[in-house]
Amino acid sequence: MKPASSNKISLALVAAAAFGLPLVMHSATYLHILILLYFYAYLTTSWNLVGGFAGVLPLGHSAFVGIGAYTSTILYLQYGISPWLGMIAGGILAVVAGLIIGFPTLKMRGAYFALCTIAFAEGLRVMVENIDKLGPFKLNGPRGLQIPPLDVGFVSFQFNSKVPYYYIILIMLVLVLILTHLIARSKLGYSLNAGGEEPEAAEALGVNVARCKLIAMVMSSFLTALAGTFYAQFTLFIYPKSVIGLDLSFEIAFIALIGGRGSIAGPVLGALLLRPLSDFTRIYFGDKLPGLHLVIFGLALVLVMIFQPRGIQEPLSRFYSKIVDRLGRKAIVEEA
Amino acid sequence: MNLLEISNLTKNFGGLTAVQSFDLTIREGQILGLIGPNGAGKSTLFNCVAGVYPPTRGEILFNNDRINGQMPWDLCKKGLARTFQIVKPFSSKTVLYNVMVGSFSRVRSVSNAEEKAMDVLDSLNLSHKKDTLAGNLNIADRKRLEIARALATNPRLLLLDEVMAGLRPTEVDEMIDIIRQLRQKGITIFVIEHIMRAIMKLSDWIAVIHFGCKIAEGPPQQVASDTNVIKAYLGEEYAVS
Amino acid sequence: MIFLLQDIINGVLLGTIYGLTALGLTLIFGVLKVINFAHGSLLMVGMYAAYWTVALSGVHPYIALIVVVPLMYLFGYFLQDIVIKPIFKAERDVREPVTVIIVTTGVWYILDNLALLVFGPQYRSLPANPLAGKMFQIGEIFISAPKFFGFIITILTAGGLFWFLQKTRIGRAIRATSLDRDAASLQGISPYKIFNVAFGIGVAIAGVAGVVFVPFYNVFPTVGVLFDIKAFIIVVLGGLGSILGAILGGIIVGLIESIGPQYMTSTWTEAIIYGLFLAVLFIKPSGMFGLKYDW
Repeated sequence: MKPASSNKISLALVAAAAFGLPLVMHSATYLHILILLYFYAYLTTSWNLVGGFAGVLPLGHSAFVGIGAYTSTILYLQYGISPWLGMIAGGILAVVAGLIIGFPTLKMRGAYFALCTIAFAEGLRVMVENIDKLGPFKLNGPRGLQIPPLDVGFVSFQFNSKVPYYYIILIMLVLVLILTHLIARSKLGYSLNAGGEEPEAAEALGVNVARCKLIAMVMSSFLTALAGTFYAQFTLFIYPKSVIGLDLSFEIAFIALIGGRGSIAGPVLGALLLRPLSDFTRIYFGDKLPGLHLVIFGLALVLVMIFQPRGIQEPLSRFYSKIVDRLGRKAIVEEA
Repeated sequence: MNLLEISNLTKNFGGLTAVQSFDLTIREGQILGLIGPNGAGKSTLFNCVAGVYPPTRGEILFNNDRINGQMPWDLCKKGLARTFQIVKPFSSKTVLYNVMVGSFSRVRSVSNAEEKAMDVLDSLNLSHKKDTLAGNLNIADRKRLEIARALATNPRLLLLDEVMAGLRPTEVDEMIDIIRQLRQKGITIFVIEHIMRAIMKLSDWIAVIHFGCKIAEGPPQQVASDTNVIKAYLGEEYAVS
Repeated sequence: MIFLLQDIINGVLLGTIYGLTALGLTLIFGVLKVINFAHGSLLMVGMYAAYWTVALSGVHPYIALIVVVPLMYLFGYFLQDIVIKPIFKAERDVREPVTVIIVTTGVWYILDNLALLVFGPQYRSLPANPLAGKMFQIGEIFISAPKFFGFIITILTAGGLFWFLQKTRIGRAIRATSLDRDAASLQGISPYKIFNVAFGIGVAIAGVAGVVFVPFYNVFPTVGVLFDIKAFIIVVLGGLGSILGAILGGIIVGLIESIGPQYMTSTWTEAIIYGLFLAVLFIKPSGMFGLKYDW
């Protein structure tokens, strides 16, 4: 069996399993966990466009989550606009924000870029926490915004069961993965990777590195904002620390880094591994040992960065290839 | 025709004048060599032409187009490519990937870029290493890769910055052949080099720079016997072959 | 008017102490060229170290310096040696050593949450604090004693650091390494040893800051986060690697914080500080006195 086709088969199997799961499993709790898992995988994959492909370290991406969440929620609560349209509006606002913050900062050294993204996200959070009304828009400061669970239906993006949410975020995740795959195998992808690794050489080969990074930033901010709307509609309650917090920004970045930024599977693998770990430690040790899951997180980060800076997807994919290889050879031997 | 015309080029860094009132013309199809002691200003001159920084004074005309201060990526699109003295491969990527980055300056699709890159690799005898990670190559192959990448951008003028540094004598000879082949393809070559026998062999014309100023210019034999040049290189041995 | 003067004095005193928190950071940043996101957590460790030294032995807070400073120096030395050095070595030729930033952030998570696990989330203040609420009065102006002493200690520390870097052999070696890593190693200075020392000193200074803060600031596991970002802002404002810049930058932030709330809510003051930070990064990234570092 050739590796390429065996990859496609396993991907198809995984996709089938994911899509078929709600038909056989009805536990709302587990669906909830999976929904959040896909949510984080989506966020890390979108982050990867800037953090992985463009090679910089954005640590304030939750700002875009917040922009998406607040935009669609305000438009819905105050003007009755469907959150699906609000999603697009949020995405556009996020693009504008991404341009404003990206244009001056993407030229800077990596460390300074990281600091700028933090300052931007924290500045935004502080402002949202302190503004009750911005012109005609009610932001409600630290109390946040609540969406009353009265208007169920597709247009209002509200459902009584978790299953529709499951499919929506799963489809979003699949789409964003396909997009990432297409970009990686495109002129933009090659240019981004080159510019991230050796900017001077890339420029001499015709790559406008700063512009490519900006394009990546814009795409990433748009996609991230969409997830913000999803979160708002899923939890029906948003407040500054939940959607524009530094914790969220860091968590997204670290999951992607541990999984392996720059690769397509890395961020998803990171989410698959770390989210359950974090949920598990929080549920079982949360009361007796608060903060343990973050210690584990931090430890994982330090160890992975020291020993496998490209992320765990590298040893994992090598391991996977070995197994496929063995199975393939076994199949050939049995045929003979 | 004159492909590159440098007139009165001066480059200051703060109080330091690296290049002073430099004039140079390169005709299409020529191989022009630039030599001079270390620190004479060769790389600075290259960098001004290649768009790394703009000259303080003077004019640079490429194909009759004034290119002062234009960005390296725009210059690449116009047909001006360069290699780096300290090679900068995309180490975590394969040789093929590296060259494809260059091809993408001319084509849009991945398959076209791959095809173009393979052509270039074939012409430089690197195709058997197309899947090797650039970081794992030896220095001679890295230098070849550097040229391959630049070649994939279809340059009219190629700036080679000490492309023989660190090579063994047999590798130097191979590199001389490669550069000659490039000229046969119609590419004009502007080369900085320290290895005297190579540059004497290759160049149609040589310019000598010392403390930022041009002190001699002419065919290799003439320059080799110029007293100013000998003085500047006092103590250096070179063979004219 | 008196109130304004009072605010100004408060701002300068507190700001100078903020400068102390930035001092260690600017040294590490200037020498190792590394952003240490764990700095706030190290400050927190310093505060807890000071707290426990006093709580367990009953000595005057400032006497705790004798214990805390060497302890923190060793902590910093080994933290750099064990955790950060391997990454440095792996990333020697990389243009932008981003991995170190990530690792120090991991260290931040570990330290903050270990503190939460071990010490619990409660806010602590010194028991039997000889400096609690003590004030000097000059005319109609009240000056907080612990802040005033903190101010003095900061000036002494900054001066001491300056003297150390200029006059001692190791200090000069540190300055050499910060200017050119390879040149220094050619002179027989092991850059990795210098990094360890510089990091140790940076953390030791964080220890001094901890001792200075503990008499008038509550200790709790995430106290570092507040100071971390502030310290970075000050370092950028004052300029990387500049001692004077760290102190002056701190004073500017301190003044904004103490005068600002008179005219707007304190959280808008926070927003202004972030805005100032972004403005400096965009307009003059090397700050007031920073060494020219190619950004």
